[in-house]
Amino acid sequence: MRILERLWASLDERLGLAPLVEFARHKEVPRHRTSWAYYFGGLTLFFLGIQIVTGILLLLYYRPTAEAAFESVQFIVTRVPFGWLVRSIHSWSANLMILSAFVHMFSVYLLGAYAKPRELTWWSGFALLLLAMGFGFSGYLLPWNELSFFATRIGTDIAGKTPLVGPWLLRFLRGGDDVTGATLTRFFGFHVALLPMLTSGLLALHLLLIQKQGMHVPEGEAREAQRRPPIPFFPNFALREAAVWLGGLALLAVLAAFFPWELGVKADPFAPAPAGIKPEWYFLFMFETLKLLPPHVLGIEGELVGLALFTLGGLVWFLAPVLDRGSRRGVRSRLFLLLGWLALAYLVSFTVLSLAGVFP
Amino acid sequence: MIPRAVLPLAGLVLAATGLSAPRPATLGPPGKAAVDTCLDCHRSLDESRLSQPAEQAAADIHRLQGITCAGCHGGDPTAEDPEAAMNPALGFQGAIAPTAVPALCAGCHSNPAFMLRYAPNIPTDQAAQYATSRHGLALAKGDTRVATCTSCHGAHGVLPADDARSPVYPSRIVETCERCHGDASLMQTYGISGREVADYRQSVHYAALTQKNDLSAPTCNDCHGSHGATPPGVSSVSNVCGTCHLTQRELFDLSPHKEAFASIEQPACEACHGNHAIHAPDDAWIGVGEGQVCGSCHVAEDGGGQVAVQLAAHLGGASRAIAASRERVARAERAGMLMDEALVQLEEAHQALVLARNQVHAAALATLEEETRRVLAAASKADQLAAAAEAEIRFRRTGLVVSLVAILAAMVALALKVRSMER
Repeated sequence: MRILERLWASLDERLGLAPLVEFARHKEVPRHRTSWAYYFGGLTLFFLGIQIVTGILLLLYYRPTAEAAFESVQFIVTRVPFGWLVRSIHSWSANLMILSAFVHMFSVYLLGAYAKPRELTWWSGFALLLLAMGFGFSGYLLPWNELSFFATRIGTDIAGKTPLVGPWLLRFLRGGDDVTGATLTRFFGFHVALLPMLTSGLLALHLLLIQKQGMHVPEGEAREAQRRPPIPFFPNFALREAAVWLGGLALLAVLAAFFPWELGVKADPFAPAPAGIKPEWYFLFMFETLKLLPPHVLGIEGELVGLALFTLGGLVWFLAPVLDRGSRRGVRSRLFLLLGWLALAYLVSFTVLSLAGVFP
Repeated sequence: MIPRAVLPLAGLVLAATGLSAPRPATLGPPGKAAVDTCLDCHRSLDESRLSQPAEQAAADIHRLQGITCAGCHGGDPTAEDPEAAMNPALGFQGAIAPTAVPALCAGCHSNPAFMLRYAPNIPTDQAAQYATSRHGLALAKGDTRVATCTSCHGAHGVLPADDARSPVYPSRIVETCERCHGDASLMQTYGISGREVADYRQSVHYAALTQKNDLSAPTCNDCHGSHGATPPGVSSVSNVCGTCHLTQRELFDLSPHKEAFASIEQPACEACHGNHAIHAPDDAWIGVGEGQVCGSCHVAEDGGGQVAVQLAAHLGGASRAIAASRERVARAERAGMLMDEALVQLEEAHQALVLARNQVHAAALATLEEETRRVLAAASKADQLAAAAEAEIRFRRTGLVVSLVAILAAMVALALKVRSMER
């Protein structure tokens, strides 16, 4: 123990860590009826941690070329000890991370936590969700199987419809006119270098802002939060969060062991697209909406109209702290609350109906 | 190959009908439809008997190649006046008698110099073959009910044989032959049952042709010939089947059955497989029991019968081993295991079983036994891989249970700790 104390004293002397410890000692989390919402940011962070660890393990064997990618993943899941588990956990954890991030985002929005002074936290969180979806989109192609190949072709096709920059964006994403080995190499680069770098920076900012501004107390919960004693962050809240993380780990273990992520068949660029190609579930609401739109709306291409609407919707969502003027004074607009519930209902219903095979 | 003896006969048939190519005036340049006033007039006639041929001729290969109506019917295809167009002095004849059809077609189709200009890739021996066919021989005797060229190819809307709409396209030949051969009352006058086409429709060959769209699957003309249509004789059945089933024929030629069948005039393949209604072969056919094919000649006590029983036993054992391994591998696959290697072994076992089954044609017990040993070895490897997968599944489940218990215990411990701290 004396060694540890001396080590701490030595570090504190050089780095001035005592104020940080003091900060942690006094950090508190408000206690009220919607305190459960505070756990989802941490849970998303936990799944991100799992992604980093399992991703690094997969990197030991994965080969990012059209000739070897599928075979290397096949090797991982059949020959490498516990390779099946690592790959399955990586795939499931990616999905749970995005699910948890969506829950986190909607709870933040519906509880009004985006309001002043937390605009930057909201914006960095929004960008982090986009990055997470970018991770999902780029990672989906990496096993180079039939489904991922054609889903990437459709996904990049949609990106290519963007006005003005569409053709350039399509070629940038694909590394050519079609999805080829060049696309795979590029997506691999995005997945393991570019996106992690951007995510690290934004995540650091996001966490820093949360520490700086403290936890938000929703409008209707202020009185209860004042009445009840707050939860000390260390060790109470940290232990509670650890229990939630363990719950996430248990769920992950069950999913990975009982529903190992399928590898499918190797992509054949010359084969016709198989029936029922779908993107990952978190893109389904966009995919189905674009499919439902008529070929032309008011003389404009249907897909283009759809993309414009999604961009507009995303922009309104992103700018909610600015557009919802009342939120700056602590009075939330009913319109924005209604918009939040409508967006949630739309996302959930389209995703569930698509998964249930209701759409043609 | 046409027997030499019938060639003079074919020559006679053709010569007797004044075989000759059409007059140059009735032809246009090759590959380009020529001026043909017959079509202009006949299209506008009310009587369908007269207008229909002109309408059918729109897609006719002859018309498109520059052969006018007058090429077959005579007359002047450039004359506007019907009397001049249908001038008997220019060889005009209306409906052409069935007996005259082969010679009329042969006028061009048996003339290599003529055919070189219009369709150099078409053989020119159809008429010679036809003359040797059952149809041609009967026609030569004055039987006008038999098929001539137009019965199968059509008269006015003739399409190339490789056009999917043509009545002689592989997938449509059955219907074409059936028009006559499905008529039992007509066929019985020739000593044919009339069930042949219906039987063929039950066969694996018809299934391959129509369900898998395999145009190489045999249809009527592949076994009987097209223009020289004739039933294959007892001695040539194995040659006909062996055209596609080479290995089986070679093995059969090595078997003691070859000479035995020949001595009792038993057709080779047909004796066990039948002719038109050829079903997918089954191991259960082998043996001397009721309904088993070897029992037609052998009894359980004779040498051949004993070999048959052993062949059946080996094949049965091999099939059961594959089925059992396949089921076990499938179970492991359903449980989420990747079983690619086991599937390769099962495929190897299946291939070896196919080779073993082939050996039945040679009635070669020793070789068949050797092949079935390969089947058993590959099936056993697949089985071992399935067993290893099952062990892995058990390990994973145990690991999962242990991990879950540990995680849940940690969660409970944390919950208790938090509660004690906040009490």
